[in-house]
This record gives sequence, C-alpha cells and structure tokens, in this order.
Amino acid sequence: MTRSVSITRRLVVTVLILELLSAVTLIGAITVHEWRVQLKVFDASLVATAESLMGAVQDTEDEADTVMLDMRGVRVAKDAAFRVEDEHGTVLGSAFDPPRLETEASGAQAFRNVEVNGRSYRFLILKGVRIVDPGQPNGGVSHGITIVYGAPLSHLWHEVLEAVRFFAIATALLMGITAFVMAWLVRKGLAPVHELAREAERISSSDWQFHAPTSAKETAELQPLAAALEAALARLQRSFEQQRRFTNDAAHELKTDVAIVKSSLQLLSMRKRTLEEYGQGLALSLEDCTRLESTVQKMLTLARLEQPPESYSSLRAPQFCSLRDTIEDAVHQSKPFAELRSIEVSVDFTGDVKVPIDSRDALLLCSNILLNALQHSPEGSAVVIAVRAGEGTVQLTVQDQGEGISDEDRASVFEPFYRGDPSRSRKSGGTGLGLSICKAICERAGGAIEIANHPAGGAVVTVRLPAEEAASDSTLSSSLKAE
Amino acid sequence: MRVLLVEDEQRLAENIVAALRETGLAVDHAADGETGSHLAEQDIYDAIVLDLMLPGKSGQRVLQDLRRRKLHTPVLILTAQESKESVVSLLNSGADDYLSKPFDLGELLARIKALIRRAKGVSTPVLVVSDLELNTVQQTVRRRGRFLDLSPTEYRILEYLIHRPRAVVSQRELLEHLYDFDWEHHSNVIEAHISNLRRKLNINGTEPLIETLRHRGYRLREGGGAQ
Repeated sequence: MTRSVSITRRLVVTVLILELLSAVTLIGAITVHEWRVQLKVFDASLVATAESLMGAVQDTEDEADTVMLDMRGVRVAKDAAFRVEDEHGTVLGSAFDPPRLETEASGAQAFRNVEVNGRSYRFLILKGVRIVDPGQPNGGVSHGITIVYGAPLSHLWHEVLEAVRFFAIATALLMGITAFVMAWLVRKGLAPVHELAREAERISSSDWQFHAPTSAKETAELQPLAAALEAALARLQRSFEQQRRFTNDAAHELKTDVAIVKSSLQLLSMRKRTLEEYGQGLALSLEDCTRLESTVQKMLTLARLEQPPESYSSLRAPQFCSLRDTIEDAVHQSKPFAELRSIEVSVDFTGDVKVPIDSRDALLLCSNILLNALQHSPEGSAVVIAVRAGEGTVQLTVQDQGEGISDEDRASVFEPFYRGDPSRSRKSGGTGLGLSICKAICERAGGAIEIANHPAGGAVVTVRLPAEEAASDSTLSSSLKAE
Repeated sequence: MRVLLVEDEQRLAENIVAALRETGLAVDHAADGETGSHLAEQDIYDAIVLDLMLPGKSGQRVLQDLRRRKLHTPVLILTAQESKESVVSLLNSGADDYLSKPFDLGELLARIKALIRRAKGVSTPVLVVSDLELNTVQQTVRRRGRFLDLSPTEYRILEYLIHRPRAVVSQRELLEHLYDFDWEHHSNVIEAHISNLRRKLNINGTEPLIETLRHRGYRLREGGGAQ
C-alpha cells in the first residue's frame, strides 16, 4: 500500500506549527520586554532603598562630627545585602556583607551583577555626600557616603517567569482549541471532495451517468475538477457507446452474412438434388461467401485505418502518391458500373499533386466516393470530379445529380454501418462502411471530408488533403475526354 | 398452410422461401416493414416470420401494429441481437417464438410448423381423426394403417382440414391458405383436388370423410369409430 497523505492532518499540523512558532517568538519577545520592565522596576526599588539608606545616615552629635546609620524607618528586604560606609572606609552598617566593588570614579550610581554565596545579586553602588550641621558657619562637615545595596536577582526572574508562564498556558490552551476547531472545519470544508468521490464511485461500465454534486460545483477549488470529470466521462461514454454500437452493428452484419451462407448450404442439403441444382447452389453459396469476405475485409480495413497513426506509419516512411493517377484508376475501375447505368463521369483536373496517403488507401478513398456518387445517381445522369490545388492543400469534389442528402443523414453518414434512409437496404447500400473508410483515410492524412447539397441539386462530397507539388504534365483531362 | 416472410436481406429471404416451399408451405415474401405490415394485416397467414431490422418500419412496430389489430397469427422473430432484454421485450409485445441469426434452416422450419400446429390447437406432429392418421413431419397419411399416396396439394388440403375439425372451410379460405401470390389460382382447381382426395381416402367402403356443403364449403367429419 502506498503511503497516503491526509490533507486534514497536514493542514492542522501546519497551522499548529505556525501557531507554535509565533507563540515561541511572542514568548521570547515578552520575556525580553518583561525582563526590561522588571529590571527597571527592580533598579528603581534598589535606588529607592539606597536613597532611604542614604537618608538614614545621621549625625552622631559628637565633636568629630562623624555619622552613623539610623535604621529606624528604613525598610530593607530580608535577603538584601548592603553596606554603608563613609569616606574613611568606616562601615556604618551592613547586612550579608556584600563584596567590595570597584566603582569607576565619576558616576554617582552604578549597577553591578555579582555572585554572592552562589546567588545572583544585583548591586547598586550609590555615592552621596551627607553634610553634618549645615547651619554652622563653616558650612558643616561633609561626609562622602558610599552605599552598596543589592538584592537577589531571583526575585526578578520570578516576576518574569510568572508573566511568561501566563502567556505560555494561554497559548497552549489556544493551540488545543485551534487543533480541534481546525480539524472540524477542514473536515467540513473537505466534505464536497468526499461527496464528489462518492458520486464518482458509482460510475461503472454500464452506468456512465455522472453529475457532479452541487456542493462540488459550488466550491471554487473543486469546480475545475468536477467539470473536467464530467467532460472526460461524457467523452468516454460517447466513445464507449460508439464502440459498442460499432461492435453491435458489426456483429449484426456478420451474423446476417453468415446466416445467408449457412441457409444456402442447408437449403442445398435439404434433399437430394440434381447435379445442375448442386452446381447452381454452390455458385450461389460461393457468392454469399464472397460477400461475407468483403464485409470482413472492410471491417479490417477500417480497424487498420483507425489505429493510431504512429503504430502504423512508423513501420514505413510516409508515402506520397499521385492524386491524378489515383483518380484515373478509380474512374477506370468503376467504368463498368457507370456504363451499366449510362452515367457519364468527367474529370476536371489540370496538373498533378502528391497527397500523403499510400496508393492503396488513396485508391480506396477515390473509388469509394465515386461509387457512392454512382449509386446515388439516376440513370443517364453525370458525375463530375473536380480537383483544385491550393497552397499546400488540395480539394477534391465529387458531385452527382442524385436526390441529395438530408440534414440528418449529413450528420451521421460517415458513421460506420450507417445506411442513411433505412428504406435503402443492404443490397443497394453495401455494408455502410465505405464512407467511414473514406473519413478514416482523410483524417489519418490530416485532411477532412464532408458532404453537402449542391445548389443545382445532387450531393457534393468534398475532400481536403494536404498536398505537395508534383512534376506536372497536364494531359489527364484531355486524355480522359478522348477515351 | 401459408406463411408470410418479412426479411429485407434478399439472399436470406430467397433461401428461406425456397426451403419453406420445399416443405409444402405456401410463402409470400415482403422485403420491407411497410409491405410486411400491410400483408400481415390481411389475416390470411397461418404464421409470420419477421426480421427485426427492417427498412421502412421496424419488425417490432410491425408486430405491435398486428397485435393492436387483434390479429393472433403466430409470429416468429428472426433477430441478430441476442440480448436478454430484447428477447423479453419481443415476447412481451406479442411474439410467439424467436430465432437468432445465424440460425439452422431445419430448426426454423420445425419451429414454424410447431407454431402453426399450436395455433390450431394441436400439440403433436401426428394428427388423428377417427381412423385417419396424418404425420406432419413425414408428410404421410394413413387410413386404417394403410399408407395413402397423396399429391402435395391434396396433402395440404387434407392437412388444413384436419387442423380445423368440424368447421366449414370455404373454397376461398382454402385458396388463401394453400397458395401464395406466386400461384395462378382458380376455385375450380380446389374442386378438382377435393374430388381426387375424396377418391383416395375412400378405401374398403369406409364412410366419406369430407362433406361438401353446397355454396358454403367443405367439412371434415369426425365420426365412425371414434364415436
């Protein structure tokens, strides 16, 4: 079994992956942003606490005008580390003993991230000046106070992770819902495909009816498929039916011919007969056999001509034959029949062209058309064959003075076994394959054949074929007229 | 007995007509549906052999029109189509039998004869009236076990009369059913044949079998030993 791919699954997975990617990006962005915000808040709180520590540095009220740290009213986080010292390095107060941090001279504030006892701390180094007794005439004593205040960064991380976790959970929830809704929606959206498939499943060789369901026709993506299916099936059905009709007609034709042969022989053997009767009976049976043979021969010819040209012509190079010679042969062949019914056949053809048909088929084409014209001509009338060569093409017309052709016959006269008016039975119309063979020959050569009524009465068969110039000698019409 | 053959294929028709005539049936041939329909509706045939694919009017339509006119002549269809549906639809539209082409000529003859027999209410090929025995297959006649030597026309008259026991059969009816259009026929021909037939049937002082009803026709008496 080949690996099958589910569009539903593919779509859902694609959407989920996209959603996941955007969620990850979003969470990343949020983390960075949150980190910054929280860091600002963190720093602000460091500054605020440090400032309040600065404020807690008090005059000790002694002669030396030293300072002390008065921790009353100052709130310091429990795990915060700090140290307050004056310009002499005297530690005024400390907690958790933060490390000595080098400060670059200038700045009043500086932040440092330092590892203390395995914990990440962020320290603020705040330098300020505390003036003791500013009201005194000497302007008071100023003390340079340095405060190092730090709090563990884990607080910051905690805040950031809280915020990110919220987003992550919301995203996961959203993705779950999306997966379900997507699966349902896609399945629902693909329902027309299933309907189309169900409808298509009903097609069998006996039932070709296919009507694409309206749901499929109303779906923009499926419309071309549905239309293509409908059209393809209609074409298939037509050719299938044509084939079936051909087979039926061929079977009918053959059965009838076989029935004739069989009945002739059985009639002969019904009782003892004279030698003469046997002779006559055998002659008739032989005639019947010849007819059966010619029916089979014509069917085989048609089958050969209807084969794809590749398989046929690849065996030999495309052959050309002289149209003039062919017409001459066809006229010569049908002469006894034409004379029998005193029909005058005239040829209007100057010059010569070569047509891309092998000479056997070309003769078949010309003589079939000519015989058809003769069969439909009243006694004593005329049949005119005319050839007009054009640029790379040639047009052959055969015109009779018969009763013409009805519109409905025109449509199907080239179909195999079509005999036109059903009142014309087999004996006058042959097997009904002649014109089909003509059509097959023309189409194989890349030409066309059609039949129409002449304004002056009678039918005109027109054949258009691709043609090549041939070495010309315009003696045909004169020589034929001379005959 | 007279049979109508409606078949457009000329050679096949020639053969069937020849075979039917050789078995002692009178045959008319129509080459298209219109003519066939027209002839069939004369109601003078004892059986009709009908081809399906006919120019002018299809065999199916000929059959339907015949049955619509309440004519019950047995019809045997000749067809080159063998599909079940077409056979079913044929039988449903009033055909009595069918044969598909290519058929066996002997089988066709046997089926036509069987159709004629059954239409006349007889189911076996040997017909018996009192001490007379007529074999339709061998075309022989025996009375009291003795074979009688009848001419073909005499045989056909007797066969027709036996098929219609107790009924009065007019000369016209005999003419219609024993001769096809190809024959020159006159009613006094029938009279001559009947008198010959009577003479040949009359052996050893048996009762005369054929009654003559003046200006009405003939009747085969069922009497003697049977009653």
